Amino acid sequence: MDPLDRCILGELEGGLPFVPEPFHDIGNRLGISGEEVIERLQRLQSDGVIRKFRARINQRLIGISANALVAWKVPDTGDGDAGPLLAAYPGVTHCYERARVPGRWEYSLYTVHHGYTREEVLDEVREISGETGIRDYVVLFSTKEFKRVPNVRMGENGRGTP
Amino acid sequence: MNGDARMDRTDLMLLDALQDTIPLVPRPWAALASRTGVPEKEVLERLERMHDLGIVRAISPILDSHRLGLTATTLIALPVPVERIGEVAAIISGCPEVSHNFQRDSTYSVWFTLTAENEERLGEVLSGILGRTGIPEQNILNLPTVRKFKIDVRFSHVLNGRREEGHGPA
Repeated sequence: MDPLDRCILGELEGGLPFVPEPFHDIGNRLGISGEEVIERLQRLQSDGVIRKFRARINQRLIGISANALVAWKVPDTGDGDAGPLLAAYPGVTHCYERARVPGRWEYSLYTVHHGYTREEVLDEVREISGETGIRDYVVLFSTKEFKRVPNVRMGENGRGTP
Repeated sequence: MNGDARMDRTDLMLLDALQDTIPLVPRPWAALASRTGVPEKEVLERLERMHDLGIVRAISPILDSHRLGLTATTLIALPVPVERIGEVAAIISGCPEVSHNFQRDSTYSVWFTLTAENEERLGEVLSGILGRTGIPEQNILNLPTVRKFKIDVRFSHVLNGRREEGHGPA
């Protein structure tokens, strides 16, 4: 990544402009062609710097207001198998393994679920529990969203050198 | 509240299509148009409107934190008494290292994610938050990421499934 790559990513942070040739528009702001913007973005994507290029949506505004983090307790030896198993469910948007807090919090796998209602999310979680045989879990519904931003923001914290 | 009155099936179809990576071509909206059958001009008008309504926050690259030098990440849960949640949450949200900060239904009432260059910096930020909120470290859950099996694969399933069946939100 060079400084120009960083400038492009910085310009795109506010979103791709809604004009017929948006990359040309971004290039204009930086004094380069739209083709160069596209080539650089393709490289950043194939290098894995860009994971995806997609819409970020305020899901609450379209009625998807139930959001749950579910913590699953699986036997020590079972993590490797259970992680991909839970991740494979289409309703799971995130699936992470996290360190336990011995003696206080023995959950190690975490999934995130979204739905129009809590009941819908709970049905999905019960179904997953039934199918995977992981009986010990806790469902943590969000009741208030204080902050939700991408975890990398070029202007604020994305200056580190890869 | 739901946005049904302001959204139709075409809007939802576009949102769904926009969950995939958009094509890196000179006219990406035209590509989206041919994929969905909605004319390019109408795609742009609908996106503009959904952006104005706050439904579409942005269409932008999602970056890999690790590749940008942010290698340490954790999820923290704090047991905050109800009357202090607003005040504590504001202190947490003020940190640029915090990306998500939610109140959740649990005695651990505040959950937030921290991302930083390294473990040392992560520890400093956390100590700072605990110091300013007066929450003892032994009461918190610090749950560092060990492995990522699925990162933010969005809810096209939800958009599709529910709408196609004709079940709107209650």
